[in-house]
Amino acid sequence: MSNNYFNTLPLREQLEQLAKCRFMHMNEFTEGVDALKGKKMVIIGCGAQGLNQGLNLRDSGLDVSYTLRQAAIDEKRQSYKNAADNGFTVGTYEELIPTADIVLNLTPDKQHTPVVTAVMPLMKQGACLSYSHGFNIVEEGMQIREDLTVIMVAPKCPGSEVRAEYVRGFGVPTLIAVHEDNDPQGHGLALAKAYAVGTGGHKAGVLMSSFIAEVKSDLMGEQTILCGMLQTGSLLCFDKMIDKGMDAGYASKLIQFGWETITEALKYGGVTNMLDRLSNPAKIKAFDLSEELKVIMRPLYNKHQDDIINGTFSSTMMADWANDDVNLLGWRAETGETAFEKTPAGDMEISEQEYFDHGILMVAMVKAGVELAFETMTAAGIIADSAYYESLHETPLIANTIARKKLYEMNATISDTAEYGCYLYNHACLPLLGDFMKNIDTDVIGRGLSSDDNGVDNARLIEINAALRSHPVEAIGATLRGHMADMKKIV
Amino acid sequence: MTIQLTDLHVEFDQGFQLKHINWQVEKQQHWLITGANGAGKSALAAVLAGYGDIQSGSTGGLPSPIGWVSFEAQAELIDAELKKDDADITDVISLGTPVREIIFTSEIDAAIAQDLITKFELDYLLNRAFRKLSTGESRKVMIIRALSCKAELLILDEPFDGLDSSTHAMLQTHLSGLAQHTPIVMVLNRFDEIPDFVSHVAYMENGELRHQVERNDEAAYAELYQLLHLKTTQLQIPPADTDTDIPALNPQQPLVKLTNICVKYTDMVLINNLDWTIEANQHWQLSGPNGSGKTAILSLITGDHPQCYTNDIFVFGFQRGNGESIWQIKQFIGYVSTALQWEYRVGTSLRNVIISGFYDSIGLYSKSTDRQKQIADQWLTLLGMQDRADYPFNKLSYGDQRLLLIARAMVKHPPLLILDEPCLGLDDINRQLVLALIEKICEANETSVIYVNHHAQDRIAGIDNYLALEKSADNS
Ligand SMILES: NC(=O)c1ccc[n+]([C@@H]2O[C@H](COP(=O)([O-])OP(=O)(O)OC[C@H]3O[C@@H](n4cnc5c(N)ncnc54)[C@H](OP(=O)(O)O)[C@@H]3O)[C@@H](O)[C@H]2O)c1
Repeated sequence: MSNNYFNTLPLREQLEQLAKCRFMHMNEFTEGVDALKGKKMVIIGCGAQGLNQGLNLRDSGLDVSYTLRQAAIDEKRQSYKNAADNGFTVGTYEELIPTADIVLNLTPDKQHTPVVTAVMPLMKQGACLSYSHGFNIVEEGMQIREDLTVIMVAPKCPGSEVRAEYVRGFGVPTLIAVHEDNDPQGHGLALAKAYAVGTGGHKAGVLMSSFIAEVKSDLMGEQTILCGMLQTGSLLCFDKMIDKGMDAGYASKLIQFGWETITEALKYGGVTNMLDRLSNPAKIKAFDLSEELKVIMRPLYNKHQDDIINGTFSSTMMADWANDDVNLLGWRAETGETAFEKTPAGDMEISEQEYFDHGILMVAMVKAGVELAFETMTAAGIIADSAYYESLHETPLIANTIARKKLYEMNATISDTAEYGCYLYNHACLPLLGDFMKNIDTDVIGRGLSSDDNGVDNARLIEINAALRSHPVEAIGATLRGHMADMKKIV
Repeated sequence: MTIQLTDLHVEFDQGFQLKHINWQVEKQQHWLITGANGAGKSALAAVLAGYGDIQSGSTGGLPSPIGWVSFEAQAELIDAELKKDDADITDVISLGTPVREIIFTSEIDAAIAQDLITKFELDYLLNRAFRKLSTGESRKVMIIRALSCKAELLILDEPFDGLDSSTHAMLQTHLSGLAQHTPIVMVLNRFDEIPDFVSHVAYMENGELRHQVERNDEAAYAELYQLLHLKTTQLQIPPADTDTDIPALNPQQPLVKLTNICVKYTDMVLINNLDWTIEANQHWQLSGPNGSGKTAILSLITGDHPQCYTNDIFVFGFQRGNGESIWQIKQFIGYVSTALQWEYRVGTSLRNVIISGFYDSIGLYSKSTDRQKQIADQWLTLLGMQDRADYPFNKLSYGDQRLLLIARAMVKHPPLLILDEPCLGLDDINRQLVLALIEKICEANETSVIYVNHHAQDRIAGIDNYLALEKSADNS
């Protein structure tokens, strides 16, 4: 039975690890990929992260090959095709792991314990094991052989983005960490930095973090604002519009593409910019709704953060793993049966501005979710930089997946862990917002404000503008977006 | 009365020809004829004045009298005066015809002529011999004659040439007045002198009337402007940036050597056993039907195809798969394709798009130097887009985007420029713009060009190596 690593630490160290976060300066990466030059990198798994990270690393001049479980090779599964069609060497654990200087574990989190247990005995003395998410180490307390170095390089984007940004000559923001219990040669950081350069991450910003800070913030972000809020919001907004007799195709389209359109504004200028896209009366409406939502939802955000910190979340989920994912699969099927999911988007034109004007409630939900997630994380001791990447920064990226194929696509793209947390959030949040939704009408979702709603109290507007701009997520966001050079110009 | 030129072929002295001219000038229209030097602008105007040997086709509705200002007309007049001199050789000294007599002939409206003489401030010249005038002065006399002859049609071939700015302005104003009742056809080399009354533009190239555009069709007009700009200005390709130099290549080695190339997927073979060597300073045309693997081969060269690691590829001194990064390869290549244009959906400024060529990036993520900005601005000037340096790229027309991406590809003066169907999806005028730009690049001749298109027969001047791909049979 696994042992939660975080819970074994004394409070002093827990706090210290949670607060680990430093934005690294560009000149810390001047050695490029040198630390990995000529080293053999073997990636386990060729899925979303595995394939795309591997393509980048190889294009940066590094030696990359893939090892897959025997069945995947024998059956020529998609993961095998991904690797072979891209001209990579593919081999079994026995063939490749013993030759590896660094083993990149890019299998799904729930497989980490069996996978690591299987490969560890095959690993060279003094080699390095790397993760892109620290769940296995932190929540399952995986013990790694003492001679091995353990690092994490976690791109803060879906795998497809990791590749797309690299090809453009850029990268995605990345968290790196060294597991202090496993750094016998003291070169973990050098390897992690070179790895981040190899994926292009250093161009977009690298946070020096800890396994613990990464896990506790990553889980929080994905369950609440990133996936949970978008799922709950989609279902509630859709049902409301249908309830009010609106065209189902329109409602479906407004939501499917609305999240993407409104959160696009976040990339450029944060929550402030998103609300600035609304007319003044609509902005005031959205602000008021979001304040109301924050009061109602705050206990839920606190509960998610608490469950994540004390390990309740991971142990609950691991119980489901042990139970053949009965809950996860059931909830996934349930989501597929919702009215929103089953109603195709209509083929009417909806202009960019209309998504804002008719989606005031959606804007309010995004604002409330981003701010709550950020506030809750920082209150738990996570540093603002991390909290920003795990909330506001990733929201538009997840919204893109909904635009592609609705909730199905979102839940297929994110990890099982994120998906599990998303359903937990959704189940709690739907009833929580029941009364709130009773007072909602199509002026804030579906039709937009009527023209007689256009009176604006100047003092109130000034107050709201000031409140928006002074939220802490906006200050750190402006700084980090600034670091991303001309990133703001990229679409 | 409508002037109608139908399927006209006309020959002039020195063998110059106008071909396939179909043109109609309506009474209330005012035309500008434009085009590069030697394109046939003046010849077309001269046809209206009755000059040239018509080989075939027909003209109809040519009016009379015609007021004609041109170098040819001026030369003719001066010639006639000189001949008079020759005839009078026996006399003591010929004083020549005084200007007054040259202007005030029977066909002339004397009041208008006098008004113009005053406006041109030529009173003091009236008694002087015409042949004693300077070129500028004799030109003014010609203009006065043309404008006061009660013409049914005015043909003004570069009328502003050699005029100082106040005279130029005066003449513009006067012409605006005349344009109220007399159709005017002008020949101008430069768009920026075009008077407001011009309603239509004819564009000549190689003796053919290639484009006819209505002035108020803004988009078409802007494109024509740009085309003319590229064709007529003697601009040089801006220099490379000495601070971001591309490493020197060994001239003994080929730029690219592909050996026994195979591109295959688990379920199909796209390319089988292909060899291709590109030496420095060779220009190549690559053609083949869709699905023959053109783009795959190019992306093996650029490093964008993942199977570049499983093939025998030598590029720019690197044998691929030995620890080089794709950025080390890309620095030697300029690349333009429709796919790049799709991927390049950024709101960044035109200037930054060009600068991004120094970094081979889509969008700009590095601080650019002043020197790079300067070079980018020179490129914008070359393209006639200097006023739009800060304009967002994604708001640009499709054809302009393509031009800009070619500039982006060329900005670092790469040893190899790959143009993957650069004219795909462009209309005729944008095609010509792109080709004009490519010609300018090929002229400079320090870059090897790979030009890709569908049709082997669509050849470009200056390219003399050909590789034609077939659709590979999926059997190995
Ligand atoms: N998705 C994201 O946005 C994201 C972002 C940052 C970090 N991460 C982290 O990246 C890691 C990989 O996630 P992912 O989303 O890339 O996963 P994924 O797309 O589901 O890919 C998993 C790969 O692992 C293989 N695999 C599955 N079970 C296996 C087993 N028992 N033994 C060996 N191989 C197995 C799969 O191939 P076969 O089933 O064919 O064998 C597949 O190629 C995770 O730690 C995740 O937390 C993900």
